[in-house]
Amino acid sequence: MGSGGSRAAQIPDADRIRRETGFSQATLLRLYHRFRALDSNKKGYLSRVDLQQIGALAVNPLGDRIIDSFFPDGSLRVEFVDFARVLAHFRPIDDDTGTRDPKEPEPPNSRMNKLRFAFQLYDLDRDGKISRHEMLQVLRLMVGVQVTEEQLESITDRTVQEADEDGDGAVSFMEFSKSLEKMDIEQKMSIRILK
Amino acid sequence: MSHRPQGLGEEAGGGARGRSRSGSPGTGDRSGRRPSRKPAPKAEGVTGRCGGPAGQEWAKGSPRPDSPQRKQVEHKRHREELGKQKRSTARRTREGRKKKNGKASLKEQRASPKKEKEVPKKEMWKQLKKRRSPSLASSASAGESLSEEELARILEQVEEKKKLITHMRNKPWPMAKKLTELREAQEFVEKYEGALGKGKGKRLYAYRMLMTKKWIKFKRDFDNFKTQCIPWEMKIKDIESHFGSSVASYFIFLRWMYGVNLVLFGLIFGLVIIPEVLMGMPYGSIPRKTVPRAEEERAMDFSVLWDFEGYIKYSALFYGYYNDQRTIGWLRYRLPMAYFMVGVSVFGYSLMIVIRSMASNTQGGTSEGEGDNFTFSFKMFTSWDYLIGNSETADNKYVSITTSFKESIVDEQESNKEENIHLTRFLRVLANFLIICCLCGSGYLIYFVVKRSQEFSKMQNVSWYERNEVEIVMSLLGMFCPPLFETIAALENYHPRIGLKWQLGRIFALFLGNLYTFLLALMDDVHLKLSNEEKIKNITHWTLFNYYNSSGWNESVPRPPLHPADVPRGSCWETAVGIEFVRLTVSDMLVTYITILVGDFLRACFVRFMNYCWCWDLEAGFPSYAEFDISGNVLGLIFNQGMIWMGSFYAPGLVGINVLRLLTSMYFQCWAVMSSNVPHERVFKASRSNNFYMGLLLLVLFLSLLPVAYTIMSLPPSFDCGPFSGKNRMYDVIQETVENDFPTFLGKIFAFIANPGLIIPAILLMFLAIYYLNSVSKTLSRANAQLRKKIQALREVEKSHKSVKGRATARDSEDTAKGSSKNATKAGTMPHSASQSQTLGKKAQGPGTSSSASGTMLPASSHLPISRPAGIRPDPGHAGPQTHPGRSASRKSAQRPPH
Repeated sequence: MGSGGSRAAQIPDADRIRRETGFSQATLLRLYHRFRALDSNKKGYLSRVDLQQIGALAVNPLGDRIIDSFFPDGSLRVEFVDFARVLAHFRPIDDDTGTRDPKEPEPPNSRMNKLRFAFQLYDLDRDGKISRHEMLQVLRLMVGVQVTEEQLESITDRTVQEADEDGDGAVSFMEFSKSLEKMDIEQKMSIRILK
Repeated sequence: MSHRPQGLGEEAGGGARGRSRSGSPGTGDRSGRRPSRKPAPKAEGVTGRCGGPAGQEWAKGSPRPDSPQRKQVEHKRHREELGKQKRSTARRTREGRKKKNGKASLKEQRASPKKEKEVPKKEMWKQLKKRRSPSLASSASAGESLSEEELARILEQVEEKKKLITHMRNKPWPMAKKLTELREAQEFVEKYEGALGKGKGKRLYAYRMLMTKKWIKFKRDFDNFKTQCIPWEMKIKDIESHFGSSVASYFIFLRWMYGVNLVLFGLIFGLVIIPEVLMGMPYGSIPRKTVPRAEEERAMDFSVLWDFEGYIKYSALFYGYYNDQRTIGWLRYRLPMAYFMVGVSVFGYSLMIVIRSMASNTQGGTSEGEGDNFTFSFKMFTSWDYLIGNSETADNKYVSITTSFKESIVDEQESNKEENIHLTRFLRVLANFLIICCLCGSGYLIYFVVKRSQEFSKMQNVSWYERNEVEIVMSLLGMFCPPLFETIAALENYHPRIGLKWQLGRIFALFLGNLYTFLLALMDDVHLKLSNEEKIKNITHWTLFNYYNSSGWNESVPRPPLHPADVPRGSCWETAVGIEFVRLTVSDMLVTYITILVGDFLRACFVRFMNYCWCWDLEAGFPSYAEFDISGNVLGLIFNQGMIWMGSFYAPGLVGINVLRLLTSMYFQCWAVMSSNVPHERVFKASRSNNFYMGLLLLVLFLSLLPVAYTIMSLPPSFDCGPFSGKNRMYDVIQETVENDFPTFLGKIFAFIANPGLIIPAILLMFLAIYYLNSVSKTLSRANAQLRKKIQALREVEKSHKSVKGRATARDSEDTAKGSSKNATKAGTMPHSASQSQTLGKKAQGPGTSSSASGTMLPASSHLPISRPAGIRPDPGHAGPQTHPGRSASRKSAQRPPH
């Protein structure tokens, strides 16, 4: 009961992170343990190699992109704050969505931010658009060599054609979110234990 | 059987290992079912690992800000930290960066007092809101045990409620609202006051919370367990990922069939065979339960047993073994009645389950069409399952994604195909003509063979071939016609899914012909036996009479009864029919297995290993590997099931054999597919609902119901074997039960219900209801189609509209986008000038955007510094800030409203 609070004190900036991300104390503590478990030689931060150790990321075609998203500014280390911030995208959406003060910033786990996170995985050059080229690259990662280049290109063309609304040959974030409108992002991009 | 969740996973045809169904961006559905297979622990990856394998510790659900006092303290600390951070970062950053940080943190500081002021009010508001959603409070209560903070919160809420209750009178609300509010408040107080009290109440509350937690955990575990209990799920997923959903649909169908057969097996064994074995008269007690003297010698030979003669024939597996005693054993179990009712309920249950699953399939089918708009986008963005942490699973997933893409490519090609319609039409007519010729030919062949076999049956000393000619010809036809049809069907150039349906329909016709010839031959046999029956009956009576009345025996001592093996007896046509069906089932099974072994496995071995020393490429060239024959297998399964339905009345053990057969064939075929087949050249997506299979199954069920119903209704049962012996018709058993065991008024009611005057109106009513429901559903589906079309049209219009408009703004936005991206790249190379160029870019963009854009820009720009205060960015980031504002700029342009 009380012990959670005392242990939580080890976490640097715990309160601030909590306020920013909306994690509960217990979750934050758990995340912190995980963070330290990942931190292979107790550096106090995570490096790219640490993240690559994770099995799910190693086999993921987009694994590198996900890891990149932990290093938003091109730095080489992930502090716990960044770690929590990225994971805050996956916090389940609270039930009281109606009560949020409109003046408050959108919490990182809102639908839009969740979508934006997914969008960034595809937007390699971060210009706010998934170009045909970027899509082709991702697709190549996902299906490998078993489909001919020609087919890959036609798939890409088709995808762009489907999602593109303003005819600029690339998928913007709005178009991206529109094409995934029917998807239950709130639920799919939530990890239940990250309350 | 498993009604898969309609969703994206489905869309993606997600193959790999269980969870892959939930392919999604970012993460799989952690909150959904989570079978803990091997990849599970790792899959938690970055995110969930810390939560423990089942995430038992529930996070404390207090997403809302804390109580005001606490908040203030936090804020103070926060500001201090900000200052510290600012100082440290300021030291580290360079020229322009400093300015920006200062600005941002200033803004932050300005914002925070305002926020502080707002806090109590907001808190109040939230509390009020919360009252309206007690579910939230309870979800919070599902958290860990009570922490002090939470206690404080609840205390506060309870106080609030109490205050509300006392001041309710003064509120200017309508009475109804007051009442509901009051009730809610009281409930809340009642529920949570215990938590705050000392001693018992608190403990009770803690206990209750513990129970809730346990219950939720139990439910989750149970869901996992249920998922794990779906048999062969992994195997089927494996196959699906390699061969596409069409092949998997066969295996799903097989699994469903296995389930149905298990139920039938339980029914028949539980209610007929086991009672008979336990409580009936033992073997050898009466003639029908004894091997006749003439057969006794060879009754245990394998060749005899293999034909299901000998001891097997006189066992509880067949109709003839059952006695016509009304009740058996100390339970006074009415076996003949049970036998009849089970026979009827086998059909009833099968009909019900088939129709029900058809209905549920169509229900699932109505909601699907919506995802069609973005097939490729969905696949592209959401097909990976981010929980996969096992490389083998990942490989499967790669394959399945590829397969699903291929499937959609085929669909796409089909929809865009333009061709010479006349040529196609001609070819299709030609193909149908050829196939009808084939069907007629095979029909005649069977007819010819059956006629011949009738001649053979009259002769003595027929050879093995002549005895089995019909079966052999039928097997050969079944083996060679389908490939022939397939070759001819290549002319038609249908979409493979439609082609499969045609193919299924044709082979269905072929099999049906076979089945009905078989049935007709059987019927002839039965009639022959029935005509002999009277004669045998007389002989039996005569023998018994002679035996008991013959002279030369001491009259004072009663003679021992004639040994049951010596009693002459009738041919028992029911058992004969049962044996035919069992034989057919077994031989069918063997033929299937041998075909798989030779046609698939040996061929694959040959192709694989002889390829090293062959003059042409065997793998790519002529023999190649076999493809999995979906249509043949599905129909084989369906017709096999038809046999079971027909035969199970006369051979109760048949279902047991069939269960074994399905079980082995599941494993065997799974193995054969994975080991020696290659995916179809044009992998296509199975229609989501395999209603076509179900429709065929229903048809076969109906067709197999007919002969059984005919025999039950219009043929007299044998006089000396089976549970209905001695009765005029089999269904008399019901009448008998009604008369003897039910009170008389019930009998009258039954008689009344059976009156045609009542039945005909009932049937009429049913027809009317069917007509009505049918027309309603037609109307609804028409409306549905229209709405869908409307949505489509709307989308088209919107798209074209936007592309016109988008081109107009394209120059403008392109400029800014180019500017920002150029900035970004420049910043990447020259970090020093990064911030300058950004601010420049921002300034340049500010006036450039339209007035409507500036409206959305405001919140975006105001929320950025707050959500990620520049001061606390922990990394010194030499190349730091370039991406962020760059992105924010693009985000702004993205957020520009469409109109």
